[in-house]
Amino acid sequence: MASSLSKERVVRFSGSARFAHWGHTITFIVLLISGLALFSPSLKSLAAIFGGYVNAGVVHRWMAVFFTAIPLIALAMNPKGFKEWWKDVFSFGKNDIGFLMVFPLEFFGFKVKIPPQTKFNGGEKMNSVVTTTSCVLLAISGYIMWFKGSFPVWMVQWSYPIHDICMIIATCMVFMHAYLGSFHPGSGESFWGMWKGTVRSDWAEHHHKQWYDKIKGGN
Amino acid sequence: MTTRKMVFTDTSLCTACKACSVACKAWNDLPAEKTQLIKGYQSQGDFTPTTWTYISLHENYENNKMTWRMFKHQCFHCADPACLKACPVGAISKTAESGYTLIDQEKCIGCGYCTIACPWGVPKTDETKKKTYKCTGCIDRVENGLLPACAFTCQPGAIQFGEHDEMLAKAKARLAEVQKTNPKAQLYGDKLMGGTTYIYLLLDSPETYGLPVNPSASASLSLWKDYLQPYGGWLIPLAAAASLGSFFTTRLLKVADSKKGVDTHGQ
Repeated sequence: MASSLSKERVVRFSGSARFAHWGHTITFIVLLISGLALFSPSLKSLAAIFGGYVNAGVVHRWMAVFFTAIPLIALAMNPKGFKEWWKDVFSFGKNDIGFLMVFPLEFFGFKVKIPPQTKFNGGEKMNSVVTTTSCVLLAISGYIMWFKGSFPVWMVQWSYPIHDICMIIATCMVFMHAYLGSFHPGSGESFWGMWKGTVRSDWAEHHHKQWYDKIKGGN
Repeated sequence: MTTRKMVFTDTSLCTACKACSVACKAWNDLPAEKTQLIKGYQSQGDFTPTTWTYISLHENYENNKMTWRMFKHQCFHCADPACLKACPVGAISKTAESGYTLIDQEKCIGCGYCTIACPWGVPKTDETKKKTYKCTGCIDRVENGLLPACAFTCQPGAIQFGEHDEMLAKAKARLAEVQKTNPKAQLYGDKLMGGTTYIYLLLDSPETYGLPVNPSASASLSLWKDYLQPYGGWLIPLAAAASLGSFFTTRLLKVADSKKGVDTHGQ
């Protein structure tokens, strides 16, 4: 059965989702590099890439505008897809907890039995919530720091550590996410899901059984 | 200068003539700015990148009688400055012994983090030059045996410069004297922010001068600079290392599994 299905593909991510994903990938990386120089004096050389601290700050602010605009554009392009994503993320259940329990072992390559998953597995759901929350807080604290004259001083004072906390969390998540979506042996087709928009049917069935059954049942 | 200095401003002697403000501009080559009446006789509301000291006037009413509260604002040159801690590029430093807090204009990037951290909001950024400025304590004069420009010009002798311990003793003696007629008189600065280099004798509580009673660095500054930046950042290489570790362990375990004939289908 696997061989007959191996060439068949199913749609996993829409154009707007992929636009948002890769748009955020680029802007996040530029924001990270241009911002890290202010995180630690030992990362001073990162500012030099942009021609010094002042220019790095200009790039950081411009990128921030795109970083904010991209998910909003994607939302306007495909509100239904956005809704489906969050509906699935918040359908966090027993199987998702089951996933997270064994995930650390799976991460390092031990064979584990994972309960059937929906479109997003327990880890992807967690990543969705944590990364999105970090991004929203990064944007809010960032704009407060940018337009500091328009906000009370205490808000600006707390924006600095909040921006740092969210940057650290988001960067850790991005590192793990990038690795899990590419070089982790278990990731398989997931990279192509976000790149081409489709994944191999047998992979979808193996990794996201509940989702696979739903889309196949719907046909 | 190898000893700690102090500038003691006795507000009971101040006449709000604003000559200190002018002397500061003259010595530091700062342009005059168009001023406007803030309230009463006060013509300057806040610091600017080119106004490093100014006088605020506060009317105080008691028994239908009005008395002035006058305050000469400038950088306090704290022993433990919040601005120094907040600066992301290490542009702010303390002079080794004399107690001055200085901004290195070569290193400053004009981000304004110091302004937000300072409990009095002293440093101000020139957004065109992308540099932040504040009172230098006339370090260039003081190191050459001259008085700070403001102290040098003060006609009623309200601004006094000298050795730290000597000036503090003088301030305390003067306080005892003034308290006979103004029981609420107090010193402001000697116990704040690690002990400031510029201290004041106030006739009344700090609020009556529009000053914070307990100026202190925000807890957010400590969270940011004492915990997140030195330790929090290490989570990032840790996440990267875990991914790198997994890259190898997953492959090693897979090889071991295939030798045992375990099916790895679907990956």
